[in-house]
Amino acid sequence: MNRRDFLRNTALISGGTMIAPSLFSREVFGSKTSKKDKITILHTNDTHSNIEPFPENHARYPGQGGVSRRFEMIEQIRNEEENVLLLDAGDIFQGTPYFNMFEGVLEMKLMTQLGYDAATMGNHDFDGGMDGFKSAKEYADFPFLCSNYDFANTELDGLTEPYTIFEKGRYKVGVFGVGVELDGLVPDNKYGETKYIDPVETATDCASKLKEEGCDLIICLSHLGYTYDDETRMSDINLARKTKDIHLIIGGHTHTFLEKPVEETNADGKTVLINQVGWAGINLGRIDFHFEKSTFEKDELILVQ
Amino acid sequence: MIRNVVIILLLGAGLWACSDVYKLSAESKSVVVDDAITSNASIDSMIAPYQDSMSAIMDEVIAFAPADFTKGRPNAALNNWAADAVLDLHARRNPVRGQPQMIVISLLNVGGLRNPINQGDVTVGDIFKVMPFDNEVVWVEMPWETIPEITNYLIQKGGEPIAGARLDRDTLLIDGVTAPAESFWIITSDYLMNGGDKMDFFEQRIDQEYHGGLLRDVFMEAAKTQDTLVFDNGNRIQL
Repeated sequence: MNRRDFLRNTALISGGTMIAPSLFSREVFGSKTSKKDKITILHTNDTHSNIEPFPENHARYPGQGGVSRRFEMIEQIRNEEENVLLLDAGDIFQGTPYFNMFEGVLEMKLMTQLGYDAATMGNHDFDGGMDGFKSAKEYADFPFLCSNYDFANTELDGLTEPYTIFEKGRYKVGVFGVGVELDGLVPDNKYGETKYIDPVETATDCASKLKEEGCDLIICLSHLGYTYDDETRMSDINLARKTKDIHLIIGGHTHTFLEKPVEETNADGKTVLINQVGWAGINLGRIDFHFEKSTFEKDELILVQ
Repeated sequence: MIRNVVIILLLGAGLWACSDVYKLSAESKSVVVDDAITSNASIDSMIAPYQDSMSAIMDEVIAFAPADFTKGRPNAALNNWAADAVLDLHARRNPVRGQPQMIVISLLNVGGLRNPINQGDVTVGDIFKVMPFDNEVVWVEMPWETIPEITNYLIQKGGEPIAGARLDRDTLLIDGVTAPAESFWIITSDYLMNGGDKMDFFEQRIDQEYHGGLLRDVFMEAAKTQDTLVFDNGNRIQL
């Protein structure tokens, strides 16, 4: 992906000034959708203990990122919108000395202060061992959603949930989490007796339950990775193709900077979106979902760019 | 120009528990977090005490980088610098006894080098950012017959940090070695030896000797010793 294009495309709307909707979107939904019929999904992934912005002499991302600015940006959006959810797709820990020195406590405190609604666990969230995660999690006031790690007989038993439901105005948003296979990524002694379950299986199960519960929007927080050279390897692309009823997969792990959400076709022939915003909190992902009463009775997808 | 992406999904009536039919459209509006936005005072004050106690340790300048050391494939300056730092350890801390003629290379992984070293002063914190993991350095004895498997791994990955050897297309050439031996040693991290990054060939190891130190401390020591970091982005991996 071409990061430069991404930066160019987003430069004008950085700084939290949302110039929206654009000409295109105004034509499409214009004044028909009110704030009440809009759900704003904000998301990060692989923040990797990047508390402060990168230094101005950083070889790749000079002066970018930073939790404090992210908060300011989120607060501006919350002031403008009625229904906002803030989600994270894992790998909160590891990457700066903040993690080495304070073992994840500051990351959890800050995410709580920023008002994160939910997160899933990435492989690096096991780096302090399960006891390390458990200690840091004491400072987290938001749920960790993990549907395909069986933590029975481990210290994390009962500390995560497969999915949760948020009521946002007149809409219900279901969110669940899936994680990457830990074998080969995380030293054995850090994840102990944790059992890995096929994410397609648990995602299918979670999405179906969330649909039964009447969710209008179903979101998967995934730390599987966007895609791999070995196409048979489990990834967000494969998860999207093999499941149904998911609208959006918020990904992580591969540190992929997607310029815009990628559309995939699910097992029902319907569209599912995949998004991932690089790493280190350089970008704040945002997708606005607009619900509009429709007289259409068939499924149709229109992409306007 | 801004090109907001609007994706419109029309949801059929029978699909949802509620009776209303909704047209669902998604609009992508991700933003870069940069200095166009000010920081938040309450968050800054939460971070400050942590930052202060950390800075006392991490801001110590230990070396100078004459250029940016980035990681990459097949070759990059940070790959070479890191692999050299590990191989250099052999002369000082070889824990293996009774093998005076041992053949030694070093092998790390690009994925484990977590940050570049930027041109300018190099601090303790910079080295922590390169190698935040508490991985230990380990000498691993490998049967000579594993070389083709290791070679394939390097080719498939498109290169990994290596020193004491180079890859010439489909041949791994170990420095100064002209004839096969029974075994050779790879200095690496315990993470990789235990199958991290799918380096499964380490399962065939004959022996392992810990040196009792962290990879991060090896980098720290190399930086301090060199004072000005040795820049070498030479092609050790020719694919």
